Amino acid sequence: MEKNSTLRSPRTLLALLVAVAIVVAALLVVLSQLGGGGGSVDDAGEFYSGIPQDGTTLGEKDAPVTVYLYEDFQCPFCGKFSREMFPDLVDDYVRDGDVKLVSETMAFLGPDSVTAARAALAAGEQNHFWPYSTLLFENQGDENSGYVTDDFLRGLAEDTPGLDVQKWEDQRAGNSFTKELKAVQGKAQAAGVNSTPTLIFKGPGGQAKIDRLTDYDQISSAIDKVDGS
Amino acid sequence: MAPKVRVRRRYTAPRTVLLVLAVLGTLISAYLTWTHFAGLTPVCTGSGEGCQTVQSSRYASVLGIPVALLGLIAYGGLIFSTALWRETGIYLGLLISLVGTLFSAYLTYLEIFVIGALCQWCLASAAIMLAALVCATLAAMPLLRGR
Repeated sequence: MEKNSTLRSPRTLLALLVAVAIVVAALLVVLSQLGGGGGSVDDAGEFYSGIPQDGTTLGEKDAPVTVYLYEDFQCPFCGKFSREMFPDLVDDYVRDGDVKLVSETMAFLGPDSVTAARAALAAGEQNHFWPYSTLLFENQGDENSGYVTDDFLRGLAEDTPGLDVQKWEDQRAGNSFTKELKAVQGKAQAAGVNSTPTLIFKGPGGQAKIDRLTDYDQISSAIDKVDGS
Repeated sequence: MAPKVRVRRRYTAPRTVLLVLAVLGTLISAYLTWTHFAGLTPVCTGSGEGCQTVQSSRYASVLGIPVALLGLIAYGGLIFSTALWRETGIYLGLLISLVGTLFSAYLTYLEIFVIGALCQWCLASAAIMLAALVCATLAAMPLLRGR
């Protein structure tokens, strides 16, 4: 009788209820920290935080060395470069202001390359080109398999931290970025770029070009060479 | 022998206020859920970028479920709790509003210190949830006093 009334006491029930509430809330907090659609999306926000972005340029304006990246969003090697070497390039050189990166977005592999490039350039109008392009490469599908759909691009826009998706849609609809894409084509021709990814390094010590990228050390030595110091 | 206290009326003052708050919260979270799925930017005073930033942050979903939808479920549960008789409803209301307040506190912390942007709708919801917790606690007082 006594035991039964203790169990049914409102105080016991309330204490139990508070404990359950704390456990449920803690579980929600843990799940919220884990969430975000996997590692890649988490990185896009945190990875670029603190690095200046201006259109298709990433890094400090007065960085001594500039690296021009000629890439096509559908090119598998560009995807591999973006996933495997690009993070180190940013961490080792861009974050502390030694190097700035300029993306020279090419779109020559097929119509989907053009669509993807336009979407990224539209994100660039809001200075979110880089996280958006990272997401494009992280979620890269097979070349010309038709994976670059409006839903796909919109999903990436929604996953791009800080991007105003509605504004991005408007910019994408209002500008086909033909002029920008043509300008890159011209620059690529002038620089003799005929494959992607091609990296062109310019600095006080001169100029270097990598068109057969196999190793991160190639990038380090090219930067050291053009840095001149 | 002490008289046994029972909550005889379904709608005591705190529970009536709780119901009103739950309806308000439902409207806000329904609106935010709708903007989430329709891909729209919530109407926000000022530049409106705060709501966009918060809603597009990685914390806007838990296991793929939008936080706004979680809010909608919680407020729906609160409305349901006020419709239940006696202790069960009171305990359910207290449980939901306590979880809701704790989680809202965490979300507000994220807005201020991690995301660095404030969303007025989310703050309004957090305030409503806190007020709901106060009402649910007041509604539960007679149960405590009864012993």
